[in-house]
Formats: sequence, C-alpha cells, structure tokens
Amino acid sequence: MNLEAHLSELAVPEAAAFRAVIDRLRTLPEREPSADLTGRILAAVDSDRGRRRSDPPWVHAPWWVAAAAMAAGLLAIVTLFAPPARRGTGPSPEMRLAWLAASQERDGSWDPLRHGGDAAYRPALTALSALALAQNPKGYAENIRRACDALTALQTGDGAFGGTGRALYYNQAITTYALAALRPQRPELKPALERAVGFMRARQTAEGGWDYEAGSEGNAAITAWQVRALACAAEQGVGGANVPLRKGLRWLRGSTRDDGSVAYHRGSGARSESLTALAAYALITAGKAFPELPPVGQHAASSLKVHPDARAGADCYRDYAKVLAFEAVGESRRADAVRGRMLKRQEIGEDDQWENVGGRLYTTALTALVAKR
Amino acid sequence: MDDQLTETDDAALMSKVRRDDDRDAFAVLVKRHQKMLLNFFARSGVQYDCEDLVQQTFLRVYRYRDRYVATAKFTTFLFLLARQVWIDELRRRKRYERLVDGLAAEPHPEFAAPDAADAVASGGMDLARALAALPDGLRQVVELGVYQELPYAEISEIMKIPVGTVKSRMFNALAKLRAFLEKE
Repeated sequence: MNLEAHLSELAVPEAAAFRAVIDRLRTLPEREPSADLTGRILAAVDSDRGRRRSDPPWVHAPWWVAAAAMAAGLLAIVTLFAPPARRGTGPSPEMRLAWLAASQERDGSWDPLRHGGDAAYRPALTALSALALAQNPKGYAENIRRACDALTALQTGDGAFGGTGRALYYNQAITTYALAALRPQRPELKPALERAVGFMRARQTAEGGWDYEAGSEGNAAITAWQVRALACAAEQGVGGANVPLRKGLRWLRGSTRDDGSVAYHRGSGARSESLTALAAYALITAGKAFPELPPVGQHAASSLKVHPDARAGADCYRDYAKVLAFEAVGESRRADAVRGRMLKRQEIGEDDQWENVGGRLYTTALTALVAKR
Repeated sequence: MDDQLTETDDAALMSKVRRDDDRDAFAVLVKRHQKMLLNFFARSGVQYDCEDLVQQTFLRVYRYRDRYVATAKFTTFLFLLARQVWIDELRRRKRYERLVDGLAAEPHPEFAAPDAADAVASGGMDLARALAALPDGLRQVVELGVYQELPYAEISEIMKIPVGTVKSRMFNALAKLRAFLEKE
C-alpha cells in the first residue's frame, strides 16, 4: 500500500480534501544545500577514518599502555618542565598538554575536523588549545607562538576570525580572549586585538548583547563569551573594549533572573547550568570594576548545583563553566567536585555532547584548562 | 568523479563503499540524497542546524555501512539513520535546556516548534510551520509518505510501527493540516 492506495479507500470528498492538502504540501519551497556541503560531509568521513588513530591514547588504552606508548615522547617534557605525574589517576595534565602539542597542524592551528569535530570552529579550537598550552608557557612557547601566528593569519580586514552563524561569534570571542590572554608574551598582537574588538563592537545589539539570530537582542552564551574577551582586552589596554564591555555586562545583569539562573534568551522559561555559570563568572570577574555586579554573579553561582541531574550526560562545556564560576566565588570544594568528575569522564573516554562540535580537541583543551597542575 | 558512478544505483554504490571503501561512490550517494535529507530536517522545524544533521546522518551511513543489506532499499537505511540522528539531537537538546524542577523541557531555540494546538489555532502561521508543529510521529509519516512517496510497508520498517499505524497517523496528520488550511 502507498499513499494513493490509502486515499482511494476514503470517501471521495475526504480524499479530495486530503489531495488538496498534499498538493499544497508538495508546493512548499525546498531548501538548497550549501555549495560546500558535499565537501564538508566527505571531509567529516575522511576525518572519521583516521579518528581512532588520532584520539589521545588514554581513550582506547589502559593507563599503563598509554603511558608506555607516550613515555618516550613525554619523558623530556615531564623531566624538564613539569612536576611528576600523579599515579593511577588517568592522564596527567602533562599528557594532555603533550597530546595537544602533538596535534598541532603544520600551519600552527588545530583542526577539529581531524578529531571528530566541525571545521567551522578551527579558530576557537586553536585558541583554546593555545590557552591550554599556555599553562606551561616555557615548555610550549614555540607552539603558542605558531598558534598566535595562525590566528592572526585567519583574521580578515574587518577584524573577524571566520565562520558563519554561531561559529562566527564563538570564534570571535574565544580567539580574542586567547590573544588578549596571551598578549603579555606577544605585545605585537595588539593591532589584531584592536581589530577584533572593533568587529565585536560593530556586532553588538542596541540592548548590549550579541546573537547570530537576526532580530534578537542577545544570546547569553555568546554574550558571556564576548564579555569575557572584552574584559581581557580592556585589561591589556585596548581602549575600544570598555564601552561594549559595560553594555555587555549590563545585558548579562539584566538577563539574570531572581533565582540566579540564566537562559539563552531573555524571557525564556528554560534554565541552563552552563549559561548560568558562564554569566556568573563574567559578572564576577569582568564586572569587578562595578560594585553592583559581582553580587549578582555570586547569586547566580549560588544557584548552581554541584551534581547535574542524573539524566545529564558528559558535557565538558558545562563542567568547565562551573569550575570557573565556583572558583570565582572561592568555593574550591565545589569546583574540585566538578573538576574531578570532568577528569574522570575524559579518562574513560565518555562521549561528550559537544564531540560533534569540537571533537576530542575540545574536551581535551577544556579539561586541560581546569585541571590542576 | 567517474561518470559511470553517477548512473549507478544506490545499492551498487553502497556495495562499493562497503567492499572497497570507495570514496567516489560515497560522494555520489551524498550528492544524490543530501537535498532530500536537508529538507527532511528542515520540515521538522530545524532552522539553523539542518546541514549539521545531514552531515551526522551521512557519517552514520559510513560508520554503519557494514549493516546495510544490498537487498534493502538504500533510502530505507538512510531514513532509519536520519530518524535516529533526529531523535538523538532532540534528546541532546532537551538535556541541555531543561525547565526548573521537572517542568517539561523547552526545546533549544533552533528547534523551537510551536505547540500543535497553538499552531492550528494561529491563523497567521503558514503551512510549513503547521507541518513542523505536528507531533514527530505524525510529521515523519507525512515526510516519508508524501514527500518521499515511500510505500507504507517501508515507512513501517523505518519507523518500527505496524502498517495500520502508518495509515492512522497519515490520516490524522492530513486531517490536522486540512483543519489548519480551512481556518486560514
């Protein structure tokens, strides 16, 4: 049986009415795939072929096998630059950094597509990987220098780092933040930083937020990241960052509800632990010059749970944001609890919900950024 | 790309992918079916991430290529995987955006589809939104029966429901859309 046979079983008037509905449905406009969609799909499949080979060794092997496999390559680094690794607790911070360094591309960037992620986030993943390596700035100075060169090479004349839609805004904020955070070691990055801030200023909504959706006054996730980047840029003396920073902070404050929670959009009934944590961290740290803002951030942080609901799976983004928020309010024990769970999940290779965005690079970089060294 | 490949049927192309890991054969399958899949997700109410979902579906086609049986229609296999990608995506989004204290989860903005009853009540809403607002089980039957013109037996296989249920869902879906059009 098919649709036509089904219709023929119905009373004639009913069948005619349904045929009219079907005709209308079939005349609805269809979407055309982007010109590069086939190429992106094939690249993702190519990446998948090699993915298991490129995964960090602790994902597929017991600790002692991974340690043995990496021992030769890591020995010099561990001996020269790092304290001894802890025993029996999965990959050490040094192993993560060594894997990130080994995964850097020849042009200095990191390619999420080669690790199960989306190529559109190459700038953001390069920035996060470089930030992670900056935890050992002497040991990875050359890697960081190459990463900064790759990021500035990606920047276009208008100050953007690339991507479209949401990728554009995450790339912009995370890359700007990384360049600002790394600038003490690279003063020559200031012109790139100024252009990046100029782009962010131009894209800010009248209400003070940022969003990739036309007509929106702001999206809390994207706004919290821009605020973080602008605060870091302002600290590095980029004067153009101050005004959009103040407007962004005001938007975040206005998006924090009475119970301390924050949703993607104002007026939404949803709550998100990730966004609440990101906003809390931004209000406490980026808003420290404005006395009324840190208490709002502290209130938001106090609404966070240490343990996510049982139904919530691995989410490195959420855990990273919560560690930042708990540490910003001085709650080390709560931060350690979240950090411990995050490390455990990466140790056992649990699938993270952001794998298809950032691949193994993302989980490794974010875990490295919160891991205690 | 080999011109001969573009004229090869889906089952033969999948055999090449399975047997020889043939990239060109896979590329032909992608080109041939990507638009259909894109619109499958678009009609589900996805605004921004359709192409990501298409990519995930083809990635699964590749990963699960050994499970494809040449006697079955490739589109059945493809839609089975597309449907699973869609379900996984909904679950992921619902985990991420959950209302406080056990209230029903609000979909991620990209997936926001109006409530079915509201959709029908709203005269200003166009047919595409009314379609997207149908419950998943009804909309997918429309997608597979109306747009893909699949036999009900094949829809039954993809959705893992009896043929009788396919019929009743198709009837209900068309009746709801008809009611919407009559209110327009």
